[in-house]
Amino acid sequence: MSQALAAYDPAVDAPAPHHPIYDYDSGPPVERQKFAIWLFLATEIMFFSGLIGAYIVLRSAAGNWPDPSERLAVDITAGNTFILIMSSWTMVKAVFSAKKGEMGKAARWLLATILIGSAFVGVQVYEYIELYHHGALPHVDIFWSTFYAMTGFHGTHVVVGVIWNVWVLQRVLRGKYTAKNNIGVELAGLYWHFVDLVWVLLFTIVYLF
Amino acid sequence: MSHHDHAVASGHDDHGGVSHFSENKVFIYLFVLTALEVGWGLAGKHFGWNRPMLWGGLLFFAAYKGWLIAVYFMHLKFEGWVVKSLILPTPFLVLVIFGYVMPDVADKETNLIHPVGSKLDPKTGAIVEDMHQLWHKPAADGAGH
Repeated sequence: MSQALAAYDPAVDAPAPHHPIYDYDSGPPVERQKFAIWLFLATEIMFFSGLIGAYIVLRSAAGNWPDPSERLAVDITAGNTFILIMSSWTMVKAVFSAKKGEMGKAARWLLATILIGSAFVGVQVYEYIELYHHGALPHVDIFWSTFYAMTGFHGTHVVVGVIWNVWVLQRVLRGKYTAKNNIGVELAGLYWHFVDLVWVLLFTIVYLF
Repeated sequence: MSHHDHAVASGHDDHGGVSHFSENKVFIYLFVLTALEVGWGLAGKHFGWNRPMLWGGLLFFAAYKGWLIAVYFMHLKFEGWVVKSLILPTPFLVLVIFGYVMPDVADKETNLIHPVGSKLDPKTGAIVEDMHQLWHKPAADGAGH
């Protein structure tokens, strides 16, 4: 026991009777974890906006920009986009199941999200390997350097999301969440949907423009 | 609530009291919109559409999908004022960023010093196209800044 605690005397140190004691939460009317994740997502929006802004300038300055469909496998990546959207759907299912206290279902939907998210990463790695074999590396020209910067940072976010979901899944399986306390599942879901949202924009900008 | 919102929101109503929308409908919307977007992009290039039409359509599809994900999957529609006031300013801040880069885009011929570097041969590493020299070429001709 510390000296300060040992010296505590309720008769002397307790708040005076007139001291206001609040019986309500004086913080913002939202869970702190949710407030934090939204704040974090706001910074992430600015991060990807910086990347896209740089891409706009560089693409404009490069003059003769190649047609992405001549360099990239748009059909495969379109399929990969469907895959990521599907993972967002399974994540919604996981969150709703957790809210209803159906933790078995939540675990199954989370597992589906992890597997589908991993499939997305797998397709992206396959794409990178194919490009590597064709000599398409970041230093070759500005098309490739912007391509790898944007898709690489996004892919890293997906990997982080998969790891986060695995961590949440093991907590679900260990009974750490209930119908009343499942904020951890919801936070992972928010991050996962954000990653999906960013890809929707990046796919359009990088592969279709 | 608009007709569209009502259509999307009229699905499930038993999600632990969290929100009231049909995630299946939103998923199908996203699926169809992605297919339409890819079709629009390929058709635009195949038929040689002008850029405003091609890019405008693509941006519309992307923005619509992003809106669906943010509003329904991320529950933004059902959040309180704290979360909304936290996240809603960011699109305007994004516009500020893009606004700052627009002068470089619009006036690139005279103001932008090409930051790209050089194009290298991936096998030998030899300089194929020195973009720094290419940028200074107009200046040598008296046409640059």
